[in-house]
Amino acid sequence: MASHAQLASHFFGDLLDSIIVDVASECHRISRLGLDRNLEEEEEELKLSAQARERVADPNNSGEANSKYVVDIFGQTHPPIASDIFECMNCHRPIMAGRFAPHLEKCMGKGRKARLKGTRSSTAAQNRHSRGSPVSTYSPYPNSTSTNQLSNGTSGVAGEEYSNGTFPEP
Amino acid sequence: MTTGNPSYTNPKPCKHLADYKLNHGLSGYKSLQKHLKSAPHGKTSVGKPSSTTPRCISCDGFQDIERAELYCCVCCDQVYDPDFDKAVMSKHIMGITGDKNGDESIGKRLVKRRRLGSGVVEELVDSKISKQLISMRDRRAKSCYPLGLRGLNNLGNTCFMNSVLQALLHAPPFRNYFLSGGHNHENCRKRSVDRLCLSCDIDVVFSAAFSGDRAPYSPAQFLYSWWQHSANLASYEQKDAHEFFISVLDGIHEKEVKSSNQNRENGDCQCIAHGVFSGLLRSDVTCMTCGFTSTTFDPCVDISLDLDTSNFPPKNTANKSIKPDANSSMSTLLGCLDLFTRQEKLGSDSKLYCQNCQERQDSAKQMSIKRLPLVLCLHIKRFEHSPVTKMSRKIDRYLQFPLSLDMTPYLSSSVVRNRFGNRIFAFESGESDISAEFEIFAAVTHAGTLESGHYVNFLRLRNQWYKCDDAWINEVDEGMVRASQCYMMFYVQKSLYQKANEDWSHLPISPRRNMFGQ
Repeated sequence: MASHAQLASHFFGDLLDSIIVDVASECHRISRLGLDRNLEEEEEELKLSAQARERVADPNNSGEANSKYVVDIFGQTHPPIASDIFECMNCHRPIMAGRFAPHLEKCMGKGRKARLKGTRSSTAAQNRHSRGSPVSTYSPYPNSTSTNQLSNGTSGVAGEEYSNGTFPEP
Repeated sequence: MTTGNPSYTNPKPCKHLADYKLNHGLSGYKSLQKHLKSAPHGKTSVGKPSSTTPRCISCDGFQDIERAELYCCVCCDQVYDPDFDKAVMSKHIMGITGDKNGDESIGKRLVKRRRLGSGVVEELVDSKISKQLISMRDRRAKSCYPLGLRGLNNLGNTCFMNSVLQALLHAPPFRNYFLSGGHNHENCRKRSVDRLCLSCDIDVVFSAAFSGDRAPYSPAQFLYSWWQHSANLASYEQKDAHEFFISVLDGIHEKEVKSSNQNRENGDCQCIAHGVFSGLLRSDVTCMTCGFTSTTFDPCVDISLDLDTSNFPPKNTANKSIKPDANSSMSTLLGCLDLFTRQEKLGSDSKLYCQNCQERQDSAKQMSIKRLPLVLCLHIKRFEHSPVTKMSRKIDRYLQFPLSLDMTPYLSSSVVRNRFGNRIFAFESGESDISAEFEIFAAVTHAGTLESGHYVNFLRLRNQWYKCDDAWINEVDEGMVRASQCYMMFYVQKSLYQKANEDWSHLPISPRRNMFGQ
């Protein structure tokens, strides 16, 4: 009569065999029916990526990834803040490209919704907690700093919505 | 490699099995069907083999009872037969749903539409662009840089916008549509009362990028228009490139819907945004008690993937060297896609109602791709939210990604078939014949933290990589792109990528000439 230990061991062996054959059978079928992925291509891609990472991490490399370029491929050079000047389509004042977004934000009234189909009611806007003064579109100081300093890279005030009911001409 | 059709290699039939079938037909399979038992998770086995079951002793074959597989004693190998698999699957389907058609009925409910997007785009390209290409070739001096390659000025923390715009400018079907006059902003403004039209503004950006002028362009008008469309995103703050991408597609779609009074059905929408980027996802929820599966389809313009971090050894096992055998601990795009299409057991606290059992049961859910788009945008969720600290942080983990991507294993046909043990059986009917092979053409990378960072786009044009860092365009080698940390990857169908390379390969350009009258 087999002991408990022997029986347990026997059952375990059966279970293990069953699991192994499960996997083997599945793989066999996949392989025979041509369903296996193109493993060679995948491995090649992995190898190329690994090599690339090694090269980039190598301190002997000139740190190409982060180096500042002197000229671009067209032989041009560009200032850190874009210096082109063009006319703001909202207030028609000349604005420097690199400062256009912060200007436009104030110019448009900070996050204002300008859809033709109805705006938020002005009571709703007034009820919102507001930081800093509401900016009208006729501010004489387009580049003045508001009380909400939004320098490059820091998170600022979440967009608060005002509506003053006018729509900019495109 | 074979084409993207998820078809089987028909295995060479075992001679002995073939002989058996000649002599005994399929009666053996039919009587076996009675004894087949299907488990809810899809695997089939043979129950209670009795002496009445023809064990094919005459042909020296028999079955693997636990797995319902055929084994030929003469060949000493497991053998496969479409008729046998069909018998297994038929029994399975009838057993589970109680409805004779089962998966087939799901097949019939599918919308079998051809991708109109690609059809329209291809026509436009052929008729109009080829004429323009020929005329350009005649008039211009040679230049070796691809058309449309132009820096975009940062207008103040707008790198999120620039990086996505570069990808849109060079997505072949999207580019072809605009360049061949798909959306003429003069006509549009005449026709519509609503002066806001994101497509018009995109058209202007295309004209500027492809004008031949190489000085960086300021997409100020576009920013202005986009802010008017997305009031909730309109602020000077750092913005997320993926959010921007979705909102631009939405803006294009909305205007299209308004002007043509179409039904808002994204799945069949013919606007250029959906025509290029929209695919269809399939979601299967399976009852773990009876196996009944309910299937739903949802359109999508991109796929957001969680990083596959599950294989990682818990603590630091010093995986500093990047040898090939460290693969198991490196995140890969294919690993993320595997994770996306894995069958996921829903917790016991989220039991779903099973129509068959008529009560809430433990369920499992599995996603797959029913229909691939022309341009596939893959977005990596590089943020994790801690419920403890209530803070989100960015995951900087490196993600390996291929330049050539075969999406076949993630298609519904492959995923569903795999769930049922890869039987030789037509699981999916009505699948479109879009190929599953893709090539990457743009990679948006992000460096920095969630609150502040910088986006850079790498473009792959004519198999040369360019780094587009706002106004700066520089040539870089493939290795730098492979080693970078990607946030969004844009893949286009291989045939469209190859065609795009051919279209522009002999194109000379002059910096002074502007062909679109801008």
